[in-house]
Amino acid sequence: MLDFFINFVGAIGKKFINFISNIGHFFTFFANTIYWMFRPPWYFKKIFQQIIDIGYFSLPVVGLTTFFSGMVLALQTYNGFTEFNSETTVARVVLTSITRELGPVLTGLMVAGRIGAKMAAEIATMRVTEQIDALGTLGTRPMQYLIAPKIIASLVCIPLLVLIGNTIGILGGYVIAIYKLNFNPNLYLYSTMEYLQLIDIIQGTVKAVVFGLIISMVSCYFGFNATKGAEGVGFATTSSVVISSVMILTSTYIITALFFG
Amino acid sequence: MKNKLEKKIIIKVTDLFKSFNNNVVLKNINFQLLEGESLAIIGESGSGKSVLLKNIIGLLLPDKGSIEINNVEMVNLPRNLKEKILLDLGITFQHGALFDSLKIWENIIFKVANKEKMNVKQGKQLALSIIKQLGLQPDILDLYPSEISGGMQKRVAIARAICGNPKILLFDEPTSGLDPVTGSLIDKLIKTAVRTVGGSAITITHDMASVCRIADKVLLIDKQTISWSGTPEEMFKSANPKIQEFIKPINSEIFFK
Repeated sequence: MLDFFINFVGAIGKKFINFISNIGHFFTFFANTIYWMFRPPWYFKKIFQQIIDIGYFSLPVVGLTTFFSGMVLALQTYNGFTEFNSETTVARVVLTSITRELGPVLTGLMVAGRIGAKMAAEIATMRVTEQIDALGTLGTRPMQYLIAPKIIASLVCIPLLVLIGNTIGILGGYVIAIYKLNFNPNLYLYSTMEYLQLIDIIQGTVKAVVFGLIISMVSCYFGFNATKGAEGVGFATTSSVVISSVMILTSTYIITALFFG
Repeated sequence: MKNKLEKKIIIKVTDLFKSFNNNVVLKNINFQLLEGESLAIIGESGSGKSVLLKNIIGLLLPDKGSIEINNVEMVNLPRNLKEKILLDLGITFQHGALFDSLKIWENIIFKVANKEKMNVKQGKQLALSIIKQLGLQPDILDLYPSEISGGMQKRVAIARAICGNPKILLFDEPTSGLDPVTGSLIDKLIKTAVRTVGGSAITITHDMASVCRIADKVLLIDKQTISWSGTPEEMFKSANPKIQEFIKPINSEIFFK
C-alpha cells in the first residue's frame, strides 16, 4: 500500500517536473527566437514566401468564417431585440462583437488550424529527417532561416487578416440586415459608423499580434523539438493546434479584461 | 611510420564518452584522422557510429572527452566559432537530409550560395559540374528531392557535401541503398576527393567492399568502444572474431587482386 502511494506521488511529481521543464524550454526557445529575429542575415525571400502562405492563402477561410459569423450575429441579435430599436441595436452588437471578439478569435483559431498545423508538421518533418541538423552544418542557423521568417510573417499577417476579417464580418451583418431583415441601409451604416470605437480596433489589433505570436511560437516550438519519426510529427502537429487554440482563448480573456475590465 | 608522424592531425578524438539516459553508447573513444587519410568506421547497427559522427560535428555534446578539428577544441566552443569550422567540412547524413522545399540545384549549392552571391545561371552551372561527376543527369537539377529516387537523393547529398571542395569529408553510410555500380562510383569519388583536394575523410559504412576501396585505415566500434583498428589488408588477416564476422560474407581476394 505504501509502495503504491509512493509510486503514485512519484508519478505526479515527475509529470509536474516535466511540465515545469517544458515551460522553461518554451521560454528559452521564445527568447532565442526573439534574439535571432533581430540579427542579420534576414532571409527576405523566406519572409515573403511565408507572408504569401500565411496572409494571402488564409484569406478565403478567414473571409468565409467571419462573413457567416457576421450574418449569424445579425440574425440572432434581431431575434432577441425585435421589441426594441433593433436597427441600431443589431448594427451595434454586430460591430462590437466582431471587432472586439469574434474577428480576432475566429481568425486566430482558423490560422492556428491552417498555418499552425502546417508550420509544426513542416518543421517536425525537417527535424526527424535530419534536415535541421544538415542546415546547421551548412553555415545556416535554423533559428534564423526556419523559425524567424515564420514569426515575422505571422506578426505582419495576422493583424492584417483580423482587420480584413472584421470588415468582412461587418459586411456579413450588413447583408442580412438589409436584404433579409429589410433595414434601412443608410440608418444601419450610420449606426455602424457611430458606434465604431478606436479602442475596439486597437484592442482587436493587440489580440491579433498576441495570437500571431502564440500560433507561430507554439507551432515552431513543437515542430523544432519533435522526436520519434512519423509519430513525433503527428504529436507536434496536434499539440501545436490544441495548445495554440487554448492559449488564444485564454489570452483573449486576459486582453479583454485589461482593456475593458 | 615517419611519414605518418609528419602528417598533420585533422581530427583528434580523445577519451570520448557519450550516453543517453544512463545508456552508455560510446566509451573511451580515441582516434586520429591524419591529413590526406581516408578512415572507415565499421560496426553493427546501433553500435554508435552515427552518434560518434554527430559528436564530431557538434550536433551532440559528449559527456566527457575532447574533440579537436585542426587543433581547435570543439567541445564547448562558442557557436559562432564552431560554425566557422563546420564550414570547412563536407557532411552527408544517413538518410540524405536534402531540403524538401528546395530544388536539387539549390540543395547542392546551398553552402556555397550562403558564402558568395551567385545568380541562378551560375548556381545551376556549379551544381551541374558536380552532379556530372556522380553520374547524375542534368535534367534532375530543377526537380525537388521528392521527385527523384532514393539512390539519386543519396548522390545529391554527396554532391552537396563536396560542393565548395571542403578539406574534411564526413560520410554517414554513403553507399547504403545504392546499386553496386553507383556504390563503386561514389567510392571512387570519395577517393578522388581525398587525393586531389588533399582532403581527409571519415566514412561510416557497413559495405566491406566499399571499405576495401576507400579506406587507408579501418576502425571497428564494438561494445561501445573502438575494439580494433588497422589497414584493410590487416583487417583481412585479423583473427578478431568481430572482424571475421564482417569479412566473412565477402571474398577478400576479389578486392585485392
